[in-house]
Amino acid sequence: MAARIASQTSQTSHTARAARIGCDIGGTFTDVILQHPDGRLFVNKTSTTPREPGRAVVSGIRAVLAQAGLAAEAVGELVHGTTVASNAILQKTGARTGVLATRGFRDVLEIGRIRTPTMFDLAWHKPEPLAPRRYRLEVNERIAADGSVVRPLDADEVRAAARRLEAEGVEAVAISFINSYANPAHEIAARRLLEAEFPGLLVTASCDVLPEMKEYERTSTTVVNAYILPVMRRYLARLQRDLAAIGIRAPIHVMASNGGMIGIAAASERPVFAVASGPAGGVTGAARLGASTQAQDLIVFDMGGTTAKASIIEGGTPALTNEYEFRDGISVPSRFLKGGGYVLKVPAIDIAEVGAGGGSIATVDAGGLLGVGPESAGADPGPACYRLGNDRPTVTDANMVLGYLNPAALAGGTLPVDPAAAHAAVARYVGTPLGLSTLDAAHGIRHIANVNMARAIRAVTVERGRDPRDMTLVAFGGSGPTHAVDVARLLGTRRVIVPVMAGVFSAAGMLAADAEHDFLRAVTSRLEASDPAQLETLAGVLRQQGGEALAAEGYDAGAVSMVLKADLRFVGQSSELTIAMGDAAIDHAALDLLRTGFLQAYRETFGYAAEEPVELVNLRLSARGHRDDRLAFDGLQVDRAALAGTRGERLASFERGAPPVATPVLARADLDATERAGPCIIESYDTTIVVPPAARVRADAVGNLLLDLDA
Amino acid sequence: MNFDPITFAVIKNAMDAIVDEVAYTVLRTARSEIVKDVMDYSAAICDRHGQMVAQAKTIALHLGAIPEAMAAVRSRFSADLQPGDAVILNDPYEGGMHLPDIFMFVPFFHGGSLEGWCVVICHHTDVGGRVPGSNASDSTEIYQEGLRIPPVKLYEAGAMNPTLERLVAINVRVPERVLGDLRAQYAAAQVGVRELGRLFERYGVQTARSYLTELLDYAERLTREEIQRWPKGSFTFTDTIDDDGLAPEPIPIKATVTVHDDRVSVDYSGSAPQVRAAINSTLSYTKSCTYLSVRCALKGDIPNNAGVFRCIEVHAPEGSVLNPRMPGAVAARALTGYRVFDAMLGCLAQIVPDRIPAAGEGGNTVVCLSGRRGDGSPFIIVDMICGAWGGRPDADGIEAVTNASQNLSNTPVETLEAQHPVRIEAYEFVPDSCGAGKWRGGLALRRSYRVLSDEAFMQLRADRMKFAPYGLAGGAPGRPAVNTLISSDAESALPSKVTRWLAREDVIVHVQPGAGGFGNPLEREPERVAADVWNGKITAAYAREHHAVVVDAASGLLDAAATRELRARLRVGATV
Repeated sequence: MAARIASQTSQTSHTARAARIGCDIGGTFTDVILQHPDGRLFVNKTSTTPREPGRAVVSGIRAVLAQAGLAAEAVGELVHGTTVASNAILQKTGARTGVLATRGFRDVLEIGRIRTPTMFDLAWHKPEPLAPRRYRLEVNERIAADGSVVRPLDADEVRAAARRLEAEGVEAVAISFINSYANPAHEIAARRLLEAEFPGLLVTASCDVLPEMKEYERTSTTVVNAYILPVMRRYLARLQRDLAAIGIRAPIHVMASNGGMIGIAAASERPVFAVASGPAGGVTGAARLGASTQAQDLIVFDMGGTTAKASIIEGGTPALTNEYEFRDGISVPSRFLKGGGYVLKVPAIDIAEVGAGGGSIATVDAGGLLGVGPESAGADPGPACYRLGNDRPTVTDANMVLGYLNPAALAGGTLPVDPAAAHAAVARYVGTPLGLSTLDAAHGIRHIANVNMARAIRAVTVERGRDPRDMTLVAFGGSGPTHAVDVARLLGTRRVIVPVMAGVFSAAGMLAADAEHDFLRAVTSRLEASDPAQLETLAGVLRQQGGEALAAEGYDAGAVSMVLKADLRFVGQSSELTIAMGDAAIDHAALDLLRTGFLQAYRETFGYAAEEPVELVNLRLSARGHRDDRLAFDGLQVDRAALAGTRGERLASFERGAPPVATPVLARADLDATERAGPCIIESYDTTIVVPPAARVRADAVGNLLLDLDA
Repeated sequence: MNFDPITFAVIKNAMDAIVDEVAYTVLRTARSEIVKDVMDYSAAICDRHGQMVAQAKTIALHLGAIPEAMAAVRSRFSADLQPGDAVILNDPYEGGMHLPDIFMFVPFFHGGSLEGWCVVICHHTDVGGRVPGSNASDSTEIYQEGLRIPPVKLYEAGAMNPTLERLVAINVRVPERVLGDLRAQYAAAQVGVRELGRLFERYGVQTARSYLTELLDYAERLTREEIQRWPKGSFTFTDTIDDDGLAPEPIPIKATVTVHDDRVSVDYSGSAPQVRAAINSTLSYTKSCTYLSVRCALKGDIPNNAGVFRCIEVHAPEGSVLNPRMPGAVAARALTGYRVFDAMLGCLAQIVPDRIPAAGEGGNTVVCLSGRRGDGSPFIIVDMICGAWGGRPDADGIEAVTNASQNLSNTPVETLEAQHPVRIEAYEFVPDSCGAGKWRGGLALRRSYRVLSDEAFMQLRADRMKFAPYGLAGGAPGRPAVNTLISSDAESALPSKVTRWLAREDVIVHVQPGAGGFGNPLEREPERVAADVWNGKITAAYAREHHAVVVDAASGLLDAAATRELRARLRVGATV
C-alpha cells in the first residue's frame, strides 16, 4: 500500500543535494519545475491530462530530467499540488459514501446550516449532500456535552449498519457522533469494529479529522474526507507506480491546503487537508520570495483566466483560516454568504476569490449597469481577440484595446490574436449601450475588474483589520502582472513584486514548502479558570502526534519545530481568533500572555476589545519539518534566455479621456538594477507586465521585478 | 455633474462591499447565538435623506422597515447629531418592529454635514418583559413585552450614555449579552462610517451624493421596467393563521395586488382585525414583508433599496392585525409577516406563474426555554427551527432551508448542549411530510428537546396545524405541524402556541409542516418518485397513494409496468 512505501523511504539519504521536483497540475497546464543540485532550475509546461492527471506529470518530469541532463535516480523528492480531491468533489466522482450517525441525527449532513447564499432567489438549488440519505444510518449511542456516556454504543447496530452499507456497495464510511469532540470513545470503538470486521470499508471517524464542536461542520469535513479517500489513494498509488516505472523512487509529497506539504501516507489518510492544494504553492512561494526581498507583509495576488485569488502573508507566514466552503463555481467576495458549498473545517490558506480573470466577460444590464464576470470565456473559446468562437468582450479584450497586449500574438508568439475583434466586441457590447467610446469602454471594463479584485483583497485585509497600504503586492498568474499596479493603487499599496517565473510560480512555490502537520484538541473552558497543568498534558499529546507524523516522513527531532496555538473568543461568541503561544511549558504566565495576545489581536481585527471573560476553545499544534534544501528565492539562477522577448513601441492608453501615448515595449531581460520610469510594457512568455505612468520598475539580481508607485 | 456609467458601477460595487463589511463585523463580534449562529440581524446604508441605498445580504425582512424607523429618528433628532453618536430604538409604535429588534442608526458626517447613515439591526436575546426572550406570543399589551426604547442616543460622541446603559442593564435578563451585542452593532457601524468617509473623500461630496441618488433611480427604473410587463388587473389570495393562541378563531390574511402600468398597489382589506395576542404586525413590518415579496417575483439582480419601494404602495386598515393600534402586543409578529409573504406569493403566482413556488413551511418555529442551571445561574434558549420550500414550476422544493423571506441559520446541537441544560434528541427529516406534486415540496424537520434542569419555562410558537402550506397548480398541501409533550413516557398533543412549565426529563417534540407541492402529483416522473423512495424521503405507500407509482420499498426500484397500469386505471377512473 501507498502508505508503507512512503514511510520506509527515509528522507535523510536525500538531503545531500538531490534534485527536487515541484509540480502544479492546473486546469490548462501542468507545470513541472526541477531544482538541480547545483541550484539551477528547469521548467516544463505540458497540457494537463484531466482523465489521468499523472500522465502529464510523468511526461513533464521526463522532459525536465532530460533538460537538466539528470537520471531519474538523482531525484530526491517530489512535491506536487493536486486538484484530484477538489475535482472529485466538483464533478461528484468521489466514493459511494455512507455515514454512521447518532440515533436521531441521520440528517445532520443534509440539513447543514440552513442559510442560502443568495437573497430573493426562489430558484436557488441546495447542493446535493455527498452522502445520500439512504447511506446515512443511525446507531444507538449518546455522549453528553460534558463527555459522559448517556447511552452506550450498540455494537450490533454498528455491525448491522455496516452490513447494510456493504450490501449497497458503499466504499467509504464517515463516523460522526454527537458530542464526540468531548469524548471520542464511541467513534473510536465503532471505527475499530469496522476496521476489524469490515476491511472492505474505508473508515474516517470525525474525531480523527476534526475533534471540534459543531456537528454539521465536523460531519461535513469527515464526509468530504471519506468521499475523496479512495480516489486520492488510487491516484497517489498510481502516480507512485508510474514514477517508479521511470526510475523515480523518491518520496512524494502533496501540498496541503495550509501551505505546508504532507507525505503520501498522511495524504492517503486525511486527504481533506489537501483539498485546496492547488493555490497553496503560489502562496508558499510568495512567503519565501518575501523573505528573500525583505518584504514580510505581502498581498498575494494570483490572476488567471477565470478567477483572481487573494491572500496575505504576515510576518513571513501565510494567513490561515480554520474553515472554508468549497463550492461549485466561484466564491463571491462576500464572506458570510454561507450555504453554497461543502464546509471544510481544516486549516487552509485564507483565500478570497472573485470571478475576475482575463477571460471574464463584460456585460451591461437592462438598467445600464456595467459588470464583469463571473461568466468567463476561459481559455476556450477565450477572449474575442482569439477568434475561437466568442464574440463578447473580456478583460483581455479590454487590455488589447488599451494597447497593453501584443497585437500580433500572445504566449511568446504562439497564440495569434486579432485586435480588431477585441475592438468590435468592446464597442458592440459595452461602448454602444453605455454611449461610451471604445477606448473609454475598455477603461471601464478593466476598472470594474480591478475594483472587483481589490474587493477580494479587502476581504483578506481590511475585513481582518489589516491595512493594505503597509503591504507589498506580489503578482503572478497569467494576468496578474497586467493588472497589479492599478489594483495596488486602488488599495493604496505602494510596492509591487512580479516574481521571476511568474508563469510557473505555483510549482516553484512547492519547492519552497516545509512539511507541516496540524493537530487540534477541543478544550472549551474559561481561560482564567483553565488549569495550566491539564493544558500542558493536552499539549504534550499534540506534540507527540506532531512528532510522530513528522518522524514517519523522515524528520528527526532536530529538524522539527512546533508552534502551539490557541483558539480564543469572548464568552458567548462563536467565532474564534487563533493566537500563537510560546515554546515553554504552559503555566499561568503563559495563559496571561495568551489573554493579552488575544485582546491585542481582537483590537487589531475589530477595532475594540472589552474587558470580559475569555474562553479557550481549542488547542492547536502546527508541526513543521525543516530541511536546508528548500528553494530560496535569493540564490536563484535563471536562464537569461527564458527572459527574452520582443522589443519595440506601441500606443497605449493609461488615462481615460487622454490620447494614447507611445509606450516602450521591453523584454524582461532588458531590466536591471537601474530604475526605469513608466509608462512601459514588459512582455515575457507567460505574462505581460504593465508599468503605467507614475510607477517605476527595476529588476533585482535574481530577475524579480520591483515596481514602486509614486504617491 | 455628468453621469459616468463607469463611476456608477464602481460606486455601486463599493456600497455593496461596505455594507457587507459592516454585517461581517457584527457577525464576528456579537455575543448571542441568535446573532452569531442564527444570524438574525441586518445592516444597511442610507443616504443623507435617510433613504436606504444598500443592504447587506442578511435578513431582508428587517430592511423594508427602515423607512419608518428612519422617519422616527429624523423627527426626533436633526441638528443635534454629531460624529460618534448612535441612536437606538425598538418601539413598534415609533418606527420599530417588535421589542427584541433594536435598530441602531449611526450618522455619517463628511465636511461637517450629515451625509448618510449606517444602520444595524439585531434581534436581542432578551429585552425584559414578562417572559424570557421577550418574544411571547400570548402577551396582550405592549407593556408586557419588555423595555420600550423610543429613539434615543445610546452613544454620544463615541461614548455610551451611562444612564441609558444602566437602564437597559437593569431591565433585561442577560445584560452582558444585550450590551455586548449593542457594542457589536456600534463597532460594525463604525466600519461603515469609516469606509463611507473614504468614498466621499475619493469622489467629493457632490459626486458621491448624486451617485447615491442614481443608485435609487437605477433600482426604481429596473423595477418599473419589469412590472410594466406584468398582466394588469387585481389578484387576490387569502392565507390563514391557525389562531392567536388565546382565542380559537382563525386569522385570515387577505392580500389584493393590483398591477398598474409600472407599479403595484397592495391592499390588505379583508384581513383579520387586530388580535389580543402578540402576533399583530406593525405597519412597518407589513410593508417590509410586502416589498420583499414583490422583490422575490422580480427578475435579475435589482438592488434592494428604497428605489424598489417607490414602485410599491401598501394599504393595511388601521386596527387590523396588519396595522394595530396602541397598545396592541406585537412580539411574535414574525409569524404574521410570514403569512403576509405566503398570501403575497399566492397573488404573485397568478401574475408570474412561472416563477412562484407553492407555500413553504410558513415561518420558523420559535422554541424558548428558560430556567436555572444546577448552580442557580439563569439560562435562556431562543431556538428557531426552519424550514422547507414548496415545489416550484420547474423543480422540487428544498428541505432544511431558511424561509425564503429570511436568511436564518440554525444553532448547532452541540453548541446548545454545551451551554444550556437541554439535550436535543432528534434533528431530522420527517419522511412523507412533503406536499405531493409534479414537483414535490420540501420535507418537514423534527427537533426535540429534553429538559435537564429542575424545571424550565417554555414558550413555543408554531403554526400551520390547521391551515397547511398550500399547493399550487394541482399540487397537494404539505403535512401540518405537530407539537408533542412526552412526560413520564406519556405522550400528549399540544396546540401550536404554548406557554407552560416543563419538568426535568420532559421532552418536547416539534414537527414542522412540510411544504406544498406544485402541479399534478400524477404527472411526476416515476423515476423521481422511485428515487425519493430509494433515498428514504418518502415511503412506497406514499408513492402509491399520491403518485400512483409502484416502487419496491426495500430496493427503491421502480416497477414501471405496474406503475403504467395503475396510472392508466386512474386516468380511466378520472374520465368516467
